[in-house]
Amino acid sequence: MFSPLRRAWRQRALVFALARRELTARYRGGVLGFFWSLLNPLLLLLVYATIFRLVFTPRSDVRPYALFLFAGVLCWGFVSSALLDAAETFRANGPLLRKTTVAPEVFPTMATGARLAHLLLALPILAAAVLVAALTGSIRPGLAALQLPVVLLLLAFLVLGIALLVSVLAVHFGDVRDLLANLLTLAFFLTPVLYPIESVPERYRAVLRLNPFVPFFVGIHESAFFYRAIPAATWAGMAAWTAAALAAGSAVFERLRDSVAEEA
Amino acid sequence: MTDPAVDVQALTKVYRRWGRKRSVGTFKSALLSGRPGRALSPDEGVPALTDVSFQVAPGEAVGIVGPNGSGKSTLLKVLAGILRPTSGTVAVRGRLAALLELGAGFHPEISGRENVEIAGLLLGLTRKEIAARFDDIVRFAEIEDFLDAPVKTYSSGMAVRLGFSIAAHSDPDVLLVDEVLAVGDEAFARRSLEKFAEFERAGKTLVLVSHDLTLVGERCRRALWLDGGRLAADGPAGETIALYRERVAVHEAERRAAPASVRAAGSSGRIGSGQATLAAVRLLDGGGRPVSRIASGAPARLAMEIEAAAPLSDFVFGFGIATVAGAPVFGSNTAIDGFVAGELAGGATAVLDIPSLDLAPGVYSVDAAVHARDGSPYDYRRDVLRFEVTADRAPAGVWNPERRWSFSGEVRWKS
Repeated sequence: MFSPLRRAWRQRALVFALARRELTARYRGGVLGFFWSLLNPLLLLLVYATIFRLVFTPRSDVRPYALFLFAGVLCWGFVSSALLDAAETFRANGPLLRKTTVAPEVFPTMATGARLAHLLLALPILAAAVLVAALTGSIRPGLAALQLPVVLLLLAFLVLGIALLVSVLAVHFGDVRDLLANLLTLAFFLTPVLYPIESVPERYRAVLRLNPFVPFFVGIHESAFFYRAIPAATWAGMAAWTAAALAAGSAVFERLRDSVAEEA
Repeated sequence: MTDPAVDVQALTKVYRRWGRKRSVGTFKSALLSGRPGRALSPDEGVPALTDVSFQVAPGEAVGIVGPNGSGKSTLLKVLAGILRPTSGTVAVRGRLAALLELGAGFHPEISGRENVEIAGLLLGLTRKEIAARFDDIVRFAEIEDFLDAPVKTYSSGMAVRLGFSIAAHSDPDVLLVDEVLAVGDEAFARRSLEKFAEFERAGKTLVLVSHDLTLVGERCRRALWLDGGRLAADGPAGETIALYRERVAVHEAERRAAPASVRAAGSSGRIGSGQATLAAVRLLDGGGRPVSRIASGAPARLAMEIEAAAPLSDFVFGFGIATVAGAPVFGSNTAIDGFVAGELAGGATAVLDIPSLDLAPGVYSVDAAVHARDGSPYDYRRDVLRFEVTADRAPAGVWNPERRWSFSGEVRWKS
C-alpha cells in the first residue's frame, strides 16, 4: 500500500545526497547565500508584525505578536515551498528520470526533505528570539516546547504525502502548479498562522476541520508560543490527516508512476 | 545454457498519448468533465517495440543495430527499467548499470567530488563502495586537479570522461550502453574500448546500442537488428551487420534509382552549363550487370552515357569515388589518364574498367562529370550513385589490398 514510501526509504542515501545538492547549489551563490534565503521569511515577519501592531490591534493573548507569528510563518513557508517544488520536481529533473534508473519517488521526497532541512536550519533563530523574549520577561517558555519536534515530524509526513500527489499529477496536468499556488494562498488565510484558533468564532470551527493544516498549526502555536499541552483531539487530527495524505499520495503515485519517465 | 543474464519475452512497448494532448490536458478540465479517471487513460498508442524476444547469456556481448527510430533506445530503457513494458516480460539478473548518457545527472553548480557521489548512488552503488573506488574513478577520468571545482567549469571532454569513469567503476554484472562513445576524443574512445574489453574478460554481460557498425563488429560476438520495432535479425555480429548493410544499400539504391530526369534539373547535386549532359551513370559488375553491391577485390566498371547538345571539341569525362562521409577515395578523368579530346557529337558511352576493386567494406558514393579542360562543368553530378563493398574481413581505412603475412623467429599462432 505504501510502496512509494518504501522505495523512497530504500533510496534514502540518494535522497539525502540530492537534497544536499539542492541546498548547496542554491546557496553556493555567495557566503551569505543561506542568510539571503532566510531574509524572505524575516521580511514577511517584519511586515506582518508591523501591520498588525500598527493597523489592527492583536488580541492581548498573542503578545509579543512578532514572536507568535514567527514559528507559524516559518512552518507555512516550509509547507508552501515544499509543495510548489514538488509540483516542479519531475520537470526539473527530466534528464535524470529519462537517462538513469532512478526511482521517481526520490524526487518529491527530496523536494520535501530539502525544504525541511531549510526549516530546521532556521529553528535556531526562532530559539534565539524565544530566549531574548524570555530574558526580557515578555514570555515564559515551558517544557511544552518539546512537543514541537513531534508536530514538525508529523507535518513533514503530511507534506510528503501531498507532495507525492501533486508531483505525479503535475506531470499529467499543466495547470496543477497554478492551481496549487492559488490553493496555498487560500489555505494560508484559512489556517491559524496569523491568528490563534481561539479567535475563530465557534460556529465556523467545524468548517476548519476540512483544512488538513489546521491541527498542525494549532499544535505549533501551542508548543512554540503558548507552551501548553496539545489537546488529544488535535493530536488525533494530525495523525489522521498525515495517514490519509500518505495513503492517498502513495496510491495515486503508484497508479501513475510508470508514466513519469515517459511524460516528464 | 545457464540462466540468461537478460531474458526478454514477447516484449511490446506502446508509447501512450495522454488526455488528447498533454499541453491542453488540465486538471480543471479533467474535473469538470466529471470523469477525472478518464483523462488519465491513454487515448492512443504509438508502438515502439513489437513482440521482441531474445536472451543474453552471462558474459555475452551483444550489439543492437538499426536505423533511427527503430526502437533501439526504447529497448535499452525498458531493459534498464526506466520504461515499463506494455506487454511481455523483461528480466535482468545481477547488478545493472545503464549508460544512456554520459554525465546524465551532473549538476553544474556543485563540485566534481559531490557529483561523483550522486552519480554513483544513481548507478546503485552504496556510499561505502563509492568511497572505496573514488580514487580510481578520478584517476581514470584524469580530473584530479579539478575535483573541487564546480562541474560547470569542466570542458565537455572532462565531464564525459568523469561520467564514463563512474559507470565503468560501478562494477555491474550487466552493462547497457547507448551510443556514448560517439563523444570524446580518440584517446578517450580507445581507453573506454579497453575498459569494455577488460569488462568482457571479467565475464560481464554487455548490451551495446550503436550506429557504429565497425564498433559493434569488433566489440560484440552477436548482434540484433531492430527494424521498425521488430527484431529483424539475431545472430553472429558479422552476419547481422552484413544483412543490415545490405538493407541500407538496397534502400539507398531504390532511392537513387529514381529516373535521372526526375533528379536532373534543379537537383543541388548537379551543376553545369548543359552543353553536354550525363544521361545515365551505372556501376556494373564483371559480367556487365548493373549492381549496387560488389565484393571487395572483384572486377567493377563505372559507365556513363553522355549526350552533347552540339558538337564539342573540348571535353573531359571523369569519375570520383568518396566515402559517404565525404572523404575522397579515388578520382580520375580522361585528361589525367592521357586522352586528348577530339570531337564529341551526339551520344557516347564511357566505361572505366577497374580489374580489382580493392576497397574496404562499406558504402561509397560516386561523382561523375563531363567538363571542359579548364574544369568548367558541362554536367557535374555529385553523389550520383552509391554502392556497397562487402568483404569477409574488414581492415581499417578504405583500402583492402590483396595481402599476405609472413613470420619468422620465435612466434607461434594458434590458428
